[in-house]
Amino acid sequence: MALRLQALSKSYGGKTVIDALSLEATSGDIVTVFGPSGGGKTVLLRLIAGIEVPESGQVLIDGTDMTYATPDARGIGMAFQNYALFPHMSAYDNVASALTPRKLGESEIRSRVNHIVRLLKIDHVMGHKPRELSNGQKQRTALARALVGAPKILLLDDPLRNVDAKLRYEMRLELPVLLRKFGSTVLYVTQDYKEAMAIGNRIAVLIAGRIVQVATPSEIYDRPATVEVARLFGDPGINLFDVTPDTDGRVAIANAQLSIGAEFASAAGVPCVLGIRPDAITVSQTANGATFPVDVVAETPLNDRSVLLLRTADGKEVLAALPASAAGTTPIGAAHAAFASASALMFDRASGLSIARGARP
Amino acid sequence: MSKFVTAADVLVIDKLNKVYGRPDKPIVHAVKDLSMTIRKGEIIALLGSSGCGKTSTLRMIAGLESVSSGSIQLAGNRIEALPPSKRGVAMAFEGYSLYPPLTVRDNIAFALKAQKLAASDASKRVIETARLVDIEGVLDRYPSSISGGQQQRASLARALVRKADLYLLDEPMGQLEPQLRAVLRGRIKSLLNDNAMTAIFVTHDQTEANALADRIAVMEGGVLQQFASQKDLKIKPSNLFVATFIGEPPMNVFDASLTRSGEGVSLALQDGPSISLPAGEVSPAVLNAIGSRHTITLGIRPQNVEVAHGGLKGIVTSNQWLGDQSHIAAEFAGKTIVAVTSARVAARPGAEMPLSFSAADMHLFDSETGAAIAHGREAA
Repeated sequence: MALRLQALSKSYGGKTVIDALSLEATSGDIVTVFGPSGGGKTVLLRLIAGIEVPESGQVLIDGTDMTYATPDARGIGMAFQNYALFPHMSAYDNVASALTPRKLGESEIRSRVNHIVRLLKIDHVMGHKPRELSNGQKQRTALARALVGAPKILLLDDPLRNVDAKLRYEMRLELPVLLRKFGSTVLYVTQDYKEAMAIGNRIAVLIAGRIVQVATPSEIYDRPATVEVARLFGDPGINLFDVTPDTDGRVAIANAQLSIGAEFASAAGVPCVLGIRPDAITVSQTANGATFPVDVVAETPLNDRSVLLLRTADGKEVLAALPASAAGTTPIGAAHAAFASASALMFDRASGLSIARGARP
Repeated sequence: MSKFVTAADVLVIDKLNKVYGRPDKPIVHAVKDLSMTIRKGEIIALLGSSGCGKTSTLRMIAGLESVSSGSIQLAGNRIEALPPSKRGVAMAFEGYSLYPPLTVRDNIAFALKAQKLAASDASKRVIETARLVDIEGVLDRYPSSISGGQQQRASLARALVRKADLYLLDEPMGQLEPQLRAVLRGRIKSLLNDNAMTAIFVTHDQTEANALADRIAVMEGGVLQQFASQKDLKIKPSNLFVATFIGEPPMNVFDASLTRSGEGVSLALQDGPSISLPAGEVSPAVLNAIGSRHTITLGIRPQNVEVAHGGLKGIVTSNQWLGDQSHIAAEFAGKTIVAVTSARVAARPGAEMPLSFSAADMHLFDSETGAAIAHGREAA
């Protein structure tokens, strides 16, 4: 195991920020750490880097206890959202600053730096000072500096936060491919769920100092462990209904009794939250046994879908995401909504934990 | 837009200019000869990146900024020389802040003063508007004790609660958490539409512009690039800037040459394959364009690139599933082509991937000026 965190805890002024957190990552793993702000993401990276020391628990790197080792003894590379480049040094010297001339010699340093900056496509700006670089070039220079020492563990703290949307998208496509070439174990903090899904082969969802779920992006999206995880993934976000399934697997939504399948009978009598993603909701002008009455309040087109805001008679707001081809086809006013129960997610209302789900996810 | 067929023009902007000239600083021509007409009940987005002139335009309409030249007519009256309070506009601006000594409730109610409503009616309107933007829980707090997002919504409520000829909103939902944003967009759009309120809002976020606006004014370098519905911006972008700015992820572009071959068209991509398009697939607009020019820039939106079947071949460089969409990048014609589909696609990096796109989804641009030549889905 390249990186093993065991029951790490850290608090500031009596407030627990990291709470008995355990996580493992193998060599070559790219784990994105995602969660709401204030959840402890940056503190977690600082504990691994050795900038902070935990109150309890261990940081093991390649099986060696590094909990109290100095940052430079850990074999870790880091890059931050604000780049943290030395303004008076050229881009080349910034990258080379991660290597010690005493150990390697000038020519070895030159060859390592050149190799990395060519891969990152910034070799042509190595003579420039940071202020002469675009944000994307600064970000790549910081990344090159983090990678040049061939770290076993690479920690990236929201590295795309300050680059514009177009470049962020390009980097989202390129970065995982690039990172795999280096073979480092990567922990990548982000506040954007799409970035978390695109870049990581696994996602660790960090909420209030605890890792609530670690799984592949598809698993997290389709089988969220808690209602909170379900809420954090998807745009527009998941619809949540308070329901109590009966023994036949039926639930009441907006005064309609909807049969959602026998797999939900296991939750009979339990106060639950039913989660339905907006793209699983359909709207039509005709009622049947599987629909509930709604008012179509507004249609707000998205880039490649169209979002309907629906309201039930009891004032509950529901979002439906239709394919772009259906844009403009639903009149404002009374209608009937249905959802594919195969994509339904059921959570225990008291604990928030997933207790049943439809056949598809 | 059927809802506006009979609607009267409410705002007429004619050759509006804004020039900032300060001693010892270069002159900035922030807004250049801007003309636009907005009908009663329309929701308009001014969309562009920072420095494009959108905020200067909004501030000139509001009266927070003087006009260098040109005219602004609102509900039949010339307003460009009037003070803000005499223009009949309601506004929510960053920096046009809430009154610190008043509670959120009193801040919103203050905007209703001029309307001389009965106290109970006014109080009901305040609560309804506060509920709309999800701040009814902080009505009795003071601005300094609520979050930035709540302040922004309180400011929005203060603008929306009153009657005005025009509502001017500056990045109205910039600070909202994503979970709330989609619902709030729907509520605000419904409020504006139900009451035939005319609104202009500034945003740098095209998702917000698409969601709310009937028409979007795309600005760049102080110049209005195109003023059209989101659908028309997608189908008929007027130039390469608009084409690559509108739509996420950005449109794929290739240098190419077009020639007629028999009844159809042959499209040769630079550093890439030649594609034969049968006559029936090519719109008259495209056919007409071929007569006069051959070297063009070809644009295809990622949503229009078909993967998993087709006669073209790319090498997959990445394949990312985002829960409801696949984003696939492939090496193609010496460049990267991006495809977006709602299907899960099994394709590993390094694998060969069949690709195709339909002639109806092609956009052709002049390679030198960037001006649109033809679009696959427009009538000739």
